[in-house]
Amino acid sequence: MNSYLEIKNITKRFGDFTALHEVSLAVEKGEFVTFLGPSGSGKTTTLMIIAGFEKATSGDVLVQGQSLSGLAPYQRNIGIVFQNYALFPHKTAADNVYFPLQMRGYGRGEGLEKAAEMLDLVGLKGFGDRYPKELSGGQQQRVALARALVFEPSLLLLDEPLGALDKNLREQMQIEIKRIQRRLGVTTVFVTHDQSEAMSMSDRIVVFEQGRIQQAASPLDVYHRPKTRFVAGFVGESNLIPARITDAAAGKADSPVLGNCEVKANGAADGQDVTLLIRPEHIRLSREPVDGRKNARMQVDTIVNYGDNALVMGRVGDLNMRARVLGRDVIILEEGDECCISWLPESVFVIEQ
Amino acid sequence: MGATISRLADKPNLWPWLLLTPLALYLAVFFAVPLFDVAVMSFTEPSLSFANYERVLTGKLYQQVFMNTFMTAGLVTLSCLLVGYPLAYLMNHVTRRTAMLILLLVTMSFWTSFLVRTYAWMVLLGNNGPVVAFLAAIGVDPAPQLLFTRFSSTLAMVHILAPYMIMNIYTVMQKIDPVLIRSAESLGARGWSLFRHVYLPLTAPGIANGCVLVFVICIGFYVTPVLLGSPREQMVAGLIGTQIEEFLAFGMGSAMAIILLVITLAILAVYHRRFGLDKLWG
Amino acid sequence: MNRLMRILGVLVVIFIAAPLVIVVPMSFSDARSLQFPPPGYWLGYYYAFFNDWGWLRPTWNSIIIAAATMVLTMILVVPATFALVRYRFYGKSVADLMMMMPLAVPHIVMAVGYYSFLGDLRLVHTHFGVILAHTCLAVPIAFLVLSANLKGFDRTLERAAQSLGASPVRTFMHVTLPILRPGIMISALFAFIQSFDETVVAIFISGRNAETLPRKMFDSIRQEADPVIAVISTLLFAVVILALVAPAGWKSIRKRLRSKTPPAAILGSQ
Repeated sequence: MNSYLEIKNITKRFGDFTALHEVSLAVEKGEFVTFLGPSGSGKTTTLMIIAGFEKATSGDVLVQGQSLSGLAPYQRNIGIVFQNYALFPHKTAADNVYFPLQMRGYGRGEGLEKAAEMLDLVGLKGFGDRYPKELSGGQQQRVALARALVFEPSLLLLDEPLGALDKNLREQMQIEIKRIQRRLGVTTVFVTHDQSEAMSMSDRIVVFEQGRIQQAASPLDVYHRPKTRFVAGFVGESNLIPARITDAAAGKADSPVLGNCEVKANGAADGQDVTLLIRPEHIRLSREPVDGRKNARMQVDTIVNYGDNALVMGRVGDLNMRARVLGRDVIILEEGDECCISWLPESVFVIEQ
Repeated sequence: MGATISRLADKPNLWPWLLLTPLALYLAVFFAVPLFDVAVMSFTEPSLSFANYERVLTGKLYQQVFMNTFMTAGLVTLSCLLVGYPLAYLMNHVTRRTAMLILLLVTMSFWTSFLVRTYAWMVLLGNNGPVVAFLAAIGVDPAPQLLFTRFSSTLAMVHILAPYMIMNIYTVMQKIDPVLIRSAESLGARGWSLFRHVYLPLTAPGIANGCVLVFVICIGFYVTPVLLGSPREQMVAGLIGTQIEEFLAFGMGSAMAIILLVITLAILAVYHRRFGLDKLWG
Repeated sequence: MNRLMRILGVLVVIFIAAPLVIVVPMSFSDARSLQFPPPGYWLGYYYAFFNDWGWLRPTWNSIIIAAATMVLTMILVVPATFALVRYRFYGKSVADLMMMMPLAVPHIVMAVGYYSFLGDLRLVHTHFGVILAHTCLAVPIAFLVLSANLKGFDRTLERAAQSLGASPVRTFMHVTLPILRPGIMISALFAFIQSFDETVVAIFISGRNAETLPRKMFDSIRQEADPVIAVISTLLFAVVILALVAPAGWKSIRKRLRSKTPPAAILGSQ
């Protein structure tokens, strides 16, 4: 059984530089997949290869079992929303949305009718006769989305489309894009370097780094069960503690700083060097050690208050640790204090490097 | 990202050559060949020798004309600077509206055919013109001969070439961050020292651009010196014209043209090495 | 410092404006020769201009030559500019420099060259000869204007068009060309003006047959300073002002037209 979109062993080299190493991925119909990674990680290159603007050095892209290689971008029937929207400045919003239909031989009457329906769907009823420069950033974004969807593309690609919007508008558009995508059921690949965006929108997150896929999993899995140190560090805040598994069966690990810890080995073998991940929100602060939890003493360096919560940064031995606690819990502490940090054994996740 | 590079690296492309060939051929035939013709004539007319160059380079008259040309060009350049700098400064220190009006005026002057502007100066400086009338009114009577002198041709050339200078200086001045001036002031720079240590260095590229442009255009200037200047104080371009039109001395005319060309290109080449030629007109 | 600069600046404004201002009243003068202020006003020299084939023919010649130069220049420059702006290839910097050369060579030098070269081709004193020469001189200016426009063109728009199903040719016709149209038109206008204003080469090669307006004006100023020059100057002024003001006017007219068009008319069928 083939997946809807299949990326098979794609390698891309620019001269001596290899931008993508043997990238493979399968996406199901209707799925919303996010490519997440820092700039230069290969996520945009992969997107451009799917769109046909870049040629892979080797490998293939298939949609519904049909290879796309050999097809020019305009033959692929893929809708793209570009970073800067790329609306045609000389065409009205309606004509922008009509453009792909015009290219597919629709008459002007029928085409503009469909375009108007689409503008309606993205919440721009009555804005059809405006030129792009007469629209706000969010409205331009919606037009771009309408234009990329109106011809019922086999895939929708979104290339960091929210980067230019301010925070409030961005959150609103996240919800909006998600709503429209669900409604139309279009298979979507979304590229971003913003992990919270990826978290809130995706069915699945694909984390890229240095031209390789580090992990492809649901947002919760990526957050709670990251496969590599990079993923743990890139998605959310994290405390990463070097350790060695001493007894996998009994769930025991030894850390130079923390001493013996109880962990779930997740398949790591005895004697293997691993990294322990503890999310800052799983750490509790107290004056005295707490029974039933793993305790350590921390020297508090900095406290950053966010109102509802606070970030406490400090050191355990020579290891930097951070804890995120409720705002009222932090009142007991001052910078320079020593305190106790503690966590439950099940909050520790073992990463096998 | 990396997209353009890859496209260039992947396949050697024939497109740019195809697109460029018609123009390249055209310029080769209708620009390079005529220019080459001039070079050939300078050695072959009336007979194959260096005689033309010898005469141009050693003859008293020709030396004087070249000297006169450089002096005039230097004077015009300096005057354009003295005229252009204050105006560019003014344009940056008045309201936007006034600045736009001045810009419109300068643009209009720039777009007006220099024949028209030359003609206007003939009217202004003529014996029945306002300048002479003004001089008479303040007691300078009879007024000195203004028209057909080095004064009139220089003045008109300054007027005609000033827009080049103004535009160049105005553009760089506009890019100066006002915060920079304010911070210089906060550090104690005032008046002349502010100008000398902050404004002048920051506008230097515009000044250099404007000066090179004005000087280069000026040494090859034909129309205005011929119409407004003194026949006894010709400039090179005028003399070349006389050689061709009146004496049919193509060899001499060509030799002078080649020398003028070499000097012009030498100045531009020096400029090109330091700043890049594309910036000069851009 | 500031004050001194301001005073100098105002004087310069007067210096620049004076010659431009003086020409207009001169054209309405009834004096037989140059005299300012004019003793009286009439339209005699306008009448003279529009009834004298000695002036109308050069005007017409100039328009024809400038128009043809514009067309030929654009045919050559548009593709070349695409090549030079969009591609990197071996020898590009030489090609860039070559494009600018006609601007660097003094026109008097080219005049000597064309006099001999077009003479050999028996094209001296013909419209065609002047057009060939003027095209060379217009190339750099047209290129400068157009390349600045093309460099500012956002190529993502072309990618967007292709992703929406437009082939490269249709992308060019529907997106690239329409967006570049204003730039191309300004570039063409510059080529037209360059030819229309060009004096030196025209003096040497246009002869009686293809006599251009600048050549006729030059001869006239040299010989007798015919006051008709003031008329032509005023007319040329009017054109320049129109060209500078027209874009703003056109914009406001279009805006008004558009705002009167109800959205339904655009969205409705046909």
